[in-house]
Amino acid sequence: MIGQHTIGVTVNGVAQERSVEPRLLLSDFLRHELGLTGTHVGCEHGVCGACTVLLDGEAVRSCLIFAVQAAGHEITTVEALSDGGELHPLQQAFHEAHALQCGFCTPGFLLSLLPYLREHPHPSEAEIRVALSGNLCRCTGYANIVAAVQRYAAQQGVGSRESGVER
Amino acid sequence: MKTSRYFGASVPRLEDARLLTGRALFVDDVQLPAMLHAAFLRSDEAHARLNGIDVAAARKRPGVIAVFTAHDLGDYWKPGPLLVPPPPIEGLVFNTATQVPLARDKIRHAGEPLALVIAESRYLAEDALEDIAVDLVPLPAVTDLEAALAEGSALVHEQFGSNLAAHVHQSTGDYAAARATAHLVLARRFHYDRGAAAALENRGVVAQWDPRAEELTVWDTTQAPIPIRNGLAAMLGLRESQVRVIAPFIGGGFGPKIMMYYPEEVLLPWAAMRLGRPVKWIEDRRENFYATTQERAQIHDAELAVTKDGSILGVRDRFLHDTGAYDPYGLTVPINSQCTLLGPYVVPSYDSEFTAVFTNKPIVTPVRGAGRQHGVFVMERLLDFAARELGIDRVEIRRRNYIQPEAFPYDHRILFQDFRPLVYDSGNYPAALAKAAELIGYESFVREKQPRLRREGKHTGLGIVSYIEGTGIGPYEGARVTVEPSGSVRVATGVGTQGQGHFTTFAQIVAEVLGVELEQVQVSTGDTREFGWGTGTFASRGAVVAGSACYAAALKVREKILSLGAALLGVSAGELVVTEGSVRVREVPDRGISLGELARKANPLRGAVTPGTEPGLEATAYFGPDRGNAASGVHAMLVEVDPETAAVVIKRYVVVHDCGTVINPMVVEAQVQGGVAHGIGNAFYEQLIFDANGQLLNASFMDYLLPTALDVPTVELAHIETPSPLNPLGTKGVGEAGAIPTGAAFAQAVEDALADTGIEISEIPLSPNRLFELLAAARGAA
Amino acid sequence: MIVEGIYPLPGTPAVIWDLLMDPEVLAKAMPGTKELVRAAPDRYEGVMRVGIGPITAAEFALTITLLELQPPLSYSMQIEGAGRFGFTRGTAKVELAPNGAGTVMHYSADLQVGGKIAAVGQRLLDSVSKLLTRQGLEALNRELTARLGGEPA
Repeated sequence: MIGQHTIGVTVNGVAQERSVEPRLLLSDFLRHELGLTGTHVGCEHGVCGACTVLLDGEAVRSCLIFAVQAAGHEITTVEALSDGGELHPLQQAFHEAHALQCGFCTPGFLLSLLPYLREHPHPSEAEIRVALSGNLCRCTGYANIVAAVQRYAAQQGVGSRESGVER
Repeated sequence: MKTSRYFGASVPRLEDARLLTGRALFVDDVQLPAMLHAAFLRSDEAHARLNGIDVAAARKRPGVIAVFTAHDLGDYWKPGPLLVPPPPIEGLVFNTATQVPLARDKIRHAGEPLALVIAESRYLAEDALEDIAVDLVPLPAVTDLEAALAEGSALVHEQFGSNLAAHVHQSTGDYAAARATAHLVLARRFHYDRGAAAALENRGVVAQWDPRAEELTVWDTTQAPIPIRNGLAAMLGLRESQVRVIAPFIGGGFGPKIMMYYPEEVLLPWAAMRLGRPVKWIEDRRENFYATTQERAQIHDAELAVTKDGSILGVRDRFLHDTGAYDPYGLTVPINSQCTLLGPYVVPSYDSEFTAVFTNKPIVTPVRGAGRQHGVFVMERLLDFAARELGIDRVEIRRRNYIQPEAFPYDHRILFQDFRPLVYDSGNYPAALAKAAELIGYESFVREKQPRLRREGKHTGLGIVSYIEGTGIGPYEGARVTVEPSGSVRVATGVGTQGQGHFTTFAQIVAEVLGVELEQVQVSTGDTREFGWGTGTFASRGAVVAGSACYAAALKVREKILSLGAALLGVSAGELVVTEGSVRVREVPDRGISLGELARKANPLRGAVTPGTEPGLEATAYFGPDRGNAASGVHAMLVEVDPETAAVVIKRYVVVHDCGTVINPMVVEAQVQGGVAHGIGNAFYEQLIFDANGQLLNASFMDYLLPTALDVPTVELAHIETPSPLNPLGTKGVGEAGAIPTGAAFAQAVEDALADTGIEISEIPLSPNRLFELLAAARGAA
Repeated sequence: MIVEGIYPLPGTPAVIWDLLMDPEVLAKAMPGTKELVRAAPDRYEGVMRVGIGPITAAEFALTITLLELQPPLSYSMQIEGAGRFGFTRGTAKVELAPNGAGTVMHYSADLQVGGKIAAVGQRLLDSVSKLLTRQGLEALNRELTARLGGEPA
């Protein structure tokens, strides 16, 4: 049997300590060990982007990272975006622009976009499309996702950003 | 139904919040105590005689609970049922060969399951797959449709003596006579190849047997939870009431999730009952490329006979259809191709014959469009070629041949996939074409812009094509509408939902009828415990058939509201209005009762419910359309092609479509946009590439390319509304429409852009590589 | 998958023939071979390990059966490999023609590849097989040169 490693990792602001096999993927760790099933797995080879989470604020594919590699880092998943009953402004923009259909890819899109929009608060449509091009969506044809990002960017006029997950 | 507050309005979706926050339950999110995990050993071979499977070592591996092969299944091992029997067409031949739960004597496609391992974790189950030794004798693979039918070919199913799965001939009019009098007869060969549905969520099943309640619960990524329940009950010897199938949130369907009794779907519940512990199986992406059904290899040899002015005299088509290793879904796909070819056109004579062929490839069942794109591609291409030969404008040749708006109902005199005559209910094709031509700027493009751009060395082209989508077929769906004492309204239907927005559109229908706030309406779909009658989500029928059932049930509840309201308020029902969550006297608006209060009064603890009435404000209703309806549309696109690299950029994409009355334009537009994206993928990027041995060579998203945000333009959309007379809402289906004519539009546009090279495009997908080859060949020939 | 080519080697066909019939040398000529034994006069069995794209170490149980032996000028091989990442099988032919003091080797193989390596490694199969072939031939050349005590051809 493969040995176990004890890791400490902060997930959505909560310190977690778990004993895991070194081969356990971060995506499986989040979903099955911590029950954070909002992170979805679509391809397990890093192409579709559905499993995207934030590692120390940067978007990573949790299917390409082992849980042990996340030790000592901060992970943010989609569950942390909304504040109680209130949607994050980007989630709200997705809702208003009908940027999701089956919604399976949506958490990955949200978490890929957040760090990008932090660095590029006012992207052009072409820039938005490039930013989205690492995530696959089979339902929407992307048009409404582009529209949601534009809507969000337009609303985020003046600094309302705080540390951690930007709102 | 008239458009008012909710019906016909672009209201944002009620289901979004759960999906956006990660709270929505998908099958892989189901976590149960003591749950086990399954993995399947799948064949590397496409065709082989199976001598034996040695699972002894796998069974000994720590953490492994059980390993099953076909021989361990005993009487439970059975080929699946034929899901769709062939329609009653004279002379039809159909050889039934349905999928088996685990291969027993023979392997018929790569990826066919050979053994099931159940272990404490998925990781351990996959480890154990490596311990299994398979003793087999490889056989030559059947992969080429024409070679498959040749004398001496290897046989996928020996018992039939050939690889013929079906042969169907339908005709109307006298094609031979039409051909004899034609000014021009065009004959061409067309190829369409396989693609994957590629829903972002792979398939999955979780099964739990509760020995105390003697109940089986199955969470399944299916588009048809009720038939799955009924089938599982029969297979497992349970009563239907002992089986609950839940299709929770589903991460995209696109067709293959309507395939029923997949091996995993049949085996997981059996194993859970046998082991007394819940079992989960989640397909991984590579498995999805083999284990989930696919679509659409066909080869057409088609002929179009026209007069000098471009009027269609007749069409003859002979085509081969690849059904894969088994044919559980009957003839739905090739019959769709056969029927959809006729499109919006008057075709006085039609002679269409197809042969479905067994191959050593994964099973073919409907994928978004379900064979319709082939028919559209063949007809539209033939019209393009005819227009060119005759010197007629391509918009004009279509206009000349359209069924006219006053000609409905229009009977094509052949049978459709629902066993009903192919009769179109309504439409206005010339208006759609005119609108699309106007939106894309057809006249100015071909007269001014394109010649100017050509002079500047730019290769731009325009494609403009028509299609019909037979949608909204029967047999039926049902719905139950309940006003609860809280005043909220519960709607339960049997269809599964995979992102189409049913939680919202069904709520819109009911909220409209009952005069309540949209947010007060909760829709439940896909849980057989909530609603146990229905067939499933396919053929773009959810909004049409289940939507109509919701409407009928809401009307019945409204009747109850009025009748009880009249009794309690002491007025006649005719004096009442149902509005703002209450029933009121029209002339005395402050005299009324809230619906919640009424629901309480309708369910008294003492006293009596009047004989002949029912307690509560609840009603169930069913809707079965007489036949399918005909959604239609025109797609137009502008492309720019680099003839050196064969790179194609889609500059604009216009869709004018008619899906009858629209319940929620936002949802409909998004369905079209998504369908177009799928169609663009099919047209230019996606192709399942099999070698001559039946090996799939691009079974990952690294090599099988789904379109990204960089490849799909924002579609410019316009609606034409010709309400369907076949249902009370007037709606027609829309789910597949976007994907159907895309290949035809793409081919015309690319060919137009490259007119100077003389290439003729008669195949889809037209990958960048393939276009490059065609261009190189054209240069070589020049 | 077709692999074929021509490679000049030092030494006469007879010298090369003897080398090719020696499992130790053959193992060197097939990069990735972990073990190779002569199980019968005309059959070798062994284990081979290769990396193809995303599959970093595919291990195959390998059986090579020699056919149509025409010493020292030509022989054929039936190759069968199977492992958890898929399978390969097919035939190969080796022809040795005298060329001055040395020999020209013509080799050709028609191999079928299936399973995971075909499904996810397809893009790289051609280049990997060419690379392995070249490495193998270079190894054979070195071995020959060492035995003949001269410069590589």
